[in-house]
Amino acid sequence: MSGAGGVGQMEDRAIISVRNLVKYFPIETGFLRRQVGVVKAVDDVNFDLNEGETLALVGESGCGKTTTSHCIIQAQRPTAGHVLFRIGDSAPMDLTQMEKAELKAARRNIRMIYQDPYSSLNPRMTLLQIIGEPLVIHKMVESQEALRNKVAELLRLVRLDPSTMNRYPHAFSGGQRQRIAIARALSLSPKVVIADEAVSALDVSVQAQILNLLKELQNQLGLTYLFVAHNLAVVKYEADRVAVMYAGKIVEIGETEELYTNPRHPYTEALISAAPNPDPDTKNRARIVLAGEVADPGNLPPGCAFHPRCRYAEDRCRREIPQLVEVGGEEGPSHRAACHFASELELAGISGGAEEPERERA
Amino acid sequence: MTAQQAGERDATSAPGGDAAADPLLSVRNLQTHFFSREGVVKAVDGVSFDIKPGEILGIAGESGCGKSVTSQSILRILPRNGKIVGGEILFNNGDRTVDLATEEADGRVLRDIRGKEIAMIFQEPMTSFSPVHTIGDQIIETIRIHQDVSKEEARDQAVEMLRRVGMPNPVRNIEEYTFNLSGGMRQRAMVALSLSCRPKLLIADEPTTAVDVTIQAQMLELLRDIQADLGMAIIMITHDLGVIAELTDRVMIMYLGKEVEHGTVEDVFHRPQHPYTRGLLASIPKMEPGRVEIEPIEGVVPSPYAMPTGCKFHTRCPEYIAGVCEKRDPPLTAVGPGHEVSCYLYGGREELE
Ligand SMILES: Nc1ncnc2c1ncn2[C@@H]1O[C@H](COP(=O)(O)OP(=O)(O)O)[C@@H](O)[C@H]1O
Ligand SMILES: Nc1ncnc2c1ncn2[C@@H]1O[C@H](COP(=O)(O)OP(=O)(O)O)[C@@H](O)[C@H]1O
Ligand SMILES: [Mg+2]
Ligand SMILES: [Mg+2]
Repeated sequence: MSGAGGVGQMEDRAIISVRNLVKYFPIETGFLRRQVGVVKAVDDVNFDLNEGETLALVGESGCGKTTTSHCIIQAQRPTAGHVLFRIGDSAPMDLTQMEKAELKAARRNIRMIYQDPYSSLNPRMTLLQIIGEPLVIHKMVESQEALRNKVAELLRLVRLDPSTMNRYPHAFSGGQRQRIAIARALSLSPKVVIADEAVSALDVSVQAQILNLLKELQNQLGLTYLFVAHNLAVVKYEADRVAVMYAGKIVEIGETEELYTNPRHPYTEALISAAPNPDPDTKNRARIVLAGEVADPGNLPPGCAFHPRCRYAEDRCRREIPQLVEVGGEEGPSHRAACHFASELELAGISGGAEEPERERA
Repeated sequence: MTAQQAGERDATSAPGGDAAADPLLSVRNLQTHFFSREGVVKAVDGVSFDIKPGEILGIAGESGCGKSVTSQSILRILPRNGKIVGGEILFNNGDRTVDLATEEADGRVLRDIRGKEIAMIFQEPMTSFSPVHTIGDQIIETIRIHQDVSKEEARDQAVEMLRRVGMPNPVRNIEEYTFNLSGGMRQRAMVALSLSCRPKLLIADEPTTAVDVTIQAQMLELLRDIQADLGMAIIMITHDLGVIAELTDRVMIMYLGKEVEHGTVEDVFHRPQHPYTRGLLASIPKMEPGRVEIEPIEGVVPSPYAMPTGCKFHTRCPEYIAGVCEKRDPPLTAVGPGHEVSCYLYGGREELE
């Protein structure tokens, strides 16, 4: 049995709780494949995904967003940690402890959508086969007719014409293919959808269609989303809460509006400042341009992984890894940041604060 | 708001570059088509724009609208099956004006201009560099192709250029190969290579599309600084209207090979007139406090092999006028000083009657 006793309770509202999640990849060299190091792709990640919400994972490439997603659905087995999943009032299951056969039921309830709708759909399958495949595998339909009816319903759900079900993906545009991928993901009526950069490759006019479609589907079907993206404006629009990742760790997590207007981690501040805004009036605003590049999770600096790029860094930051701690007020919703100086720094968010003179700490 | 009002409101815009100067590059009614078994793709179909010395022009629009083909046409580096079938590309090369559209693609004139007077940077820095030569060798070679200088002088210039683009250790970096560099440093090396002959015009085709937002911010700052420093004109090609707003003076919006609107960034972003421009701006999530709804453009971009008649946007246009828009291409109509739109809402209907 794969109960979750002893690994901590799930919060009342949580449908998935990620606890101390770790994924290390060995760095090997040579013929003997000697291990010479380790890529800390995900390093002690904790968060709750609440039922019905959209939680975004945001951060630059290589920060561990995809690996986190894969470790949740057990497409990759974590090195350590737990992923608790609960349906309704039933007891939480720890997905990390389950055998492949046991996972099948959980996998039906947690589906993924990927960035590239061109490579994620088999070109030799019709829409009927692509969308119907999970239904067949999980023996959810009794007859060919039931399958066709179900696929037609799913196509209507994503606003595609059901009469196209015998066509192949190449006949569809990028945005339409992403609708097909969404229909496939929804075919088993999952509770949770993990969208990994699902709109990142789309042109803006089509991206807007898919963003709105995802919201409509969430309202209609009561879905919970883990929305993985690197575009901060897109995340602002789509998510209720946001977790910012850097070098395998969550550095800040909180409600979207709060996090964008009142960031508490210098990396979040810099990301917000760097995001280009389609408004020429903000052309001459003072931007924070971070020097250097994202930390390499295979060769992390000591202390806070962000310190080499941080304009507020002090000695302590070079020595001590900061913990993710509560920085919000006594009552209000939770807002956590992993910065030694989170309570002292006055960081600028999107309210236009970036135009004020720089407020460096003495 | 009427077109007239839109024009009168314009008083603030002060685009960079010398407004009175003759254009450095003047593209007139450019048509570049591709010929294949499936048919003809009119990738660029009647595009006109000017760029003044020292100005930063943006070319924006969604994928497939003809941005890259426009730049490939200027430098005459089109794929084999692509042909300039009409129009002029007039380049003011100091003492004389040449029409790049009619010159031999690999003839003397273009070989002298390409890389020296007009340089280009791409999304993928590796396309600019050969993996088997050091960065320094490639920059030095480029300098020596176009300038009569000794190897030592060229080397000094290369080091200096690497320093200008913010390479951390130019003297060492010059001996390195691109595969040893991080993504951000490769981008900088590419800029250094492209600027090594001090071109009058730099064409940047989606240079920040594949990089992370903090590296993008570095790149935009670099382009801004180096433009102020060296004074070349820049054509910034991107699908990202945020990048356009942050960097450029004027912008041309394209849709399916056509120019739909152009003007100062202030006019186009604050007073967009073409329904497509409005739709694009309404589709972008904003980095602003509070809830700002977005409104997608309906439908999908038509296949290049099944282009709509008349205005290419009429199949998706919320303001489509039946019996008008599908008839003929709308002409460009001025809606303010330097602000033009090709849309029947603003004029051109008389000619249909
Ligand atoms: N199979 C793997 N083997 C080794 N390293 C990996 C593997 N998968 C991912 N990584 C590394 O783990 C880090 C996190 O990657 P990823 O989760 O894909 O980041 P993101 O999705 O945020 O871009 C990166 O440094 C990446 O190179
Ligand atoms: N070699 C080619 N053969 C046929 N069509 C092409 C070729 N290259 C580009 N095209 C077409 O030309 C149009 C414009 O392409 P492009 O300029 O690359 O668009 P973008 O605005 O995305 O840069 C597109 O419809 C594209 O499919
Ligand atoms: Mg990823
Ligand atoms: Mg292009």
